[in-house]
Amino acid sequence: MNLKEKGKILWKFHLNLSFKVSSNFKMFIGVSGYNHESAAALVDKNGVLIDYYREESLSRIKGDKSFPRRAISKLLKSNNLQIKDIERVAFYERPLSAFLHIVKEASLNMPRSLSLLVHQFRNFNRSSVSCYLDFAKEFKGLETKLIYSDHHLSHSLTALSYSNSKKDVCSVVVDGFGDRSTASISQIVNPSEINELWECPYPVSLGLFYSSITDYLGFSINEGEYKVMGLASFGDSKSKSAKLVRGLMDWDSTSNKIISDMSYFDYHLSTSNSFNSKLEDLLGPARNPFVQLIPGESDFQRCADIARGAQDLTIYLLQKIFTHAHKITRSRRFLFSGGVSMNSASIDSLAQLPFIDEIIIPPSPGDAGCAIGAAFYSYIKSNSYIDLKISKPSLFPSLKEIRNDEFLTEQIIFNQFSILEKDEDDAFLKAAELISAGEVIGTVLSRSETGPRALGNRSLLCDGKNKDAVKKLNTVIKNRSPFRPTAPAMRYKIAKKYYRLRPEIYDCYQSMSATCQCLKDNVSLKFPTTHVDGTARIQIVENNSSLDKLLSILEPMGVEILANSSLNVSGDPNSFDLVDGLMVCSRTKLRYLLTDLGLLKRKT
Amino acid sequence: MKNIQSELPIFYETAHAELASALEMLAACKGTDTPKQALGYFMHAKDEYMHAKCFFKMLSQRGIKVSLEKAREFRFTPPSLIIKGYISNKGFLIDTMKLKDFIAFVYTNELLAKSSFENILNLVGSDTDEGKIISSIMMDELRHHGMAKKYFLKNYPALQPWQLVMYRFRETLQNKGRKLYDANLKFLDKILTPLYKGMAFVAGNMARKLNLNEFKREGKNLMEISSKSIL
Repeated sequence: MNLKEKGKILWKFHLNLSFKVSSNFKMFIGVSGYNHESAAALVDKNGVLIDYYREESLSRIKGDKSFPRRAISKLLKSNNLQIKDIERVAFYERPLSAFLHIVKEASLNMPRSLSLLVHQFRNFNRSSVSCYLDFAKEFKGLETKLIYSDHHLSHSLTALSYSNSKKDVCSVVVDGFGDRSTASISQIVNPSEINELWECPYPVSLGLFYSSITDYLGFSINEGEYKVMGLASFGDSKSKSAKLVRGLMDWDSTSNKIISDMSYFDYHLSTSNSFNSKLEDLLGPARNPFVQLIPGESDFQRCADIARGAQDLTIYLLQKIFTHAHKITRSRRFLFSGGVSMNSASIDSLAQLPFIDEIIIPPSPGDAGCAIGAAFYSYIKSNSYIDLKISKPSLFPSLKEIRNDEFLTEQIIFNQFSILEKDEDDAFLKAAELISAGEVIGTVLSRSETGPRALGNRSLLCDGKNKDAVKKLNTVIKNRSPFRPTAPAMRYKIAKKYYRLRPEIYDCYQSMSATCQCLKDNVSLKFPTTHVDGTARIQIVENNSSLDKLLSILEPMGVEILANSSLNVSGDPNSFDLVDGLMVCSRTKLRYLLTDLGLLKRKT
Repeated sequence: MKNIQSELPIFYETAHAELASALEMLAACKGTDTPKQALGYFMHAKDEYMHAKCFFKMLSQRGIKVSLEKAREFRFTPPSLIIKGYISNKGFLIDTMKLKDFIAFVYTNELLAKSSFENILNLVGSDTDEGKIISSIMMDELRHHGMAKKYFLKNYPALQPWQLVMYRFRETLQNKGRKLYDANLKFLDKILTPLYKGMAFVAGNMARKLNLNEFKREGKNLMEISSKSIL
């Protein structure tokens, strides 16, 4: 063989090798941000979500909506990727469309909306319109690979990825505001053909209505909606306040549209006020955010009734939207996403609609989860239909910390904690014994959860039937509002004994996305994890998960239900890594922490 | 009432600053290379979290007593840490500064924080319950300052005392500069607001004519819409 032939063979080998390398690293990134929580997701060439980070997990600023620089960096670093390994990056919405819709609506209401217009124009460079420039500045080269998905399409694709069936389903998206509408219905023929059939144009918005009531009740927008949902259970639907709120929006059966009296709201006109004095004239004065809301105290019932009215209206409108969705698509299987789908108290009612066979809600149905949908969008856009394989993502998608937790926290643990058990099985057994004895333990195990709900890996746990332990978890450790319930977690066979489960939303129970009723005259009505209205936001634990393992030890000890809350201090995002978990333990009265390094006890 | 109203911004801003410090220290704890430093930053972060909690409580006690409008104005939301510039949108200090500069920053700012707490102490009175808490916070700040100094002397033995003074002078100057810049910005904002409003009015009148019907997607396959379009 002469030199030339050798050279040819080497060149062929090189080409083969480089092809293999480049095809191995064909990755897709999805990014969300600027408006609500930002996040970044990574999907590989086989349609598998291999990594996902919310910016708030890394910045430790709850609801962080800035450009997800840390999340993207971590995706690249943790997966050993370079810019050239990324095939495409998809942003979760069309930025100019989002910007113009707000400006156009505000322009129709001048001069009242002048401050909003000034804000929009002055912050143009901080809006999502600047995402191209931010990519160019922070990740040079990625901006050339940038594509844009529709906001509601990103939501739909996120939900689709969690569905077992990838075709012939109906997607319902209801949120505050997307890049042009506030709610939509789409028919998913297959991942390459998603037809939008109905939309609710901005500014009429069920999500923004709920946020305005949240604001009126003194809670922070995008954070306090859970509190309103919990508060609603104390309210009376027949009360005057509830009826007044109930009348603020309606469904027009003739035009199949949501209608709203916008004269009560300012969210489309102002940067600081979501409602105006007319709403206060109607419902009474708004609540001072600094005054604690305690059951039995003055004004509590009025606030609860208002929350009840908002909840009733939400359920009513969602039922109307789903009914219309069924009418126009004939579908019996639904994907439900967008911020409003986090309203877990409304899902049970939806499951009772006669035409529903299945509702799938992704574990992170808000804007942070849209990064997953955007990543799949770029994956679908880069592959032909026959090659598409979208795998159902895990509930715990983030990669484990590459940094050696054991090394980094060595001195912290040595100084502040003692290791009770190092071996994994022994640590679980000891933790189970502590729970059974009425203790509260925190967990920092394996990978963190996708969504806002702790599913066991970053949780605070105690015996769900032990009133004192649940009270300690709620008030002493978490300092939560007394009207907020704690979720019970259990295995399926246990859940059946106590709760009225609906098979249509079984998946929702795994990600704590739906509440359910306790069985009639059942002992569960007296559990401390049961809400005042006889419902509970249950979690049916996934097989082979950390909680499954813990419950398998606890059940023979007589503990079949765990109260499960997120491992954080009020106002902070849920813990992400071991350092965060140790910090929560140090800042609160929590004494035990079950970790991958063993069971730790805080030194007093 | 007037007094309380004037105190609100002080506690609001101080709580922001302390929480931001806690986050900076937590980031430093995660970003360091040695377990010993991680412990130091961890304990520092824990203290700062506690300080923030105290100031939020003091804010809350005052917030109850003011008008609803004022109370809403001073309600804390975590993203405001970035919006108000307490956490840079470029990243945490530990990511953007050299370690030596970072320690110098801590060394100086803990001392500056202590002196600003002296003003708050005068406001609430040193013999009140709040005063006692603030005094204890001041002790913490002094301890943090001392720890940073100890680190300096241990790791940079060649460093002369006058260099530490220079660091302190530089940081103090920069701090004053930031305050001046902020005050100027607010002043300019006041002056320019009518102009901004005028420009927004003109732009708004143009925006009125926009036809956004093109954005309607009803009946369209969303996957077929150009992925390059930002509209």
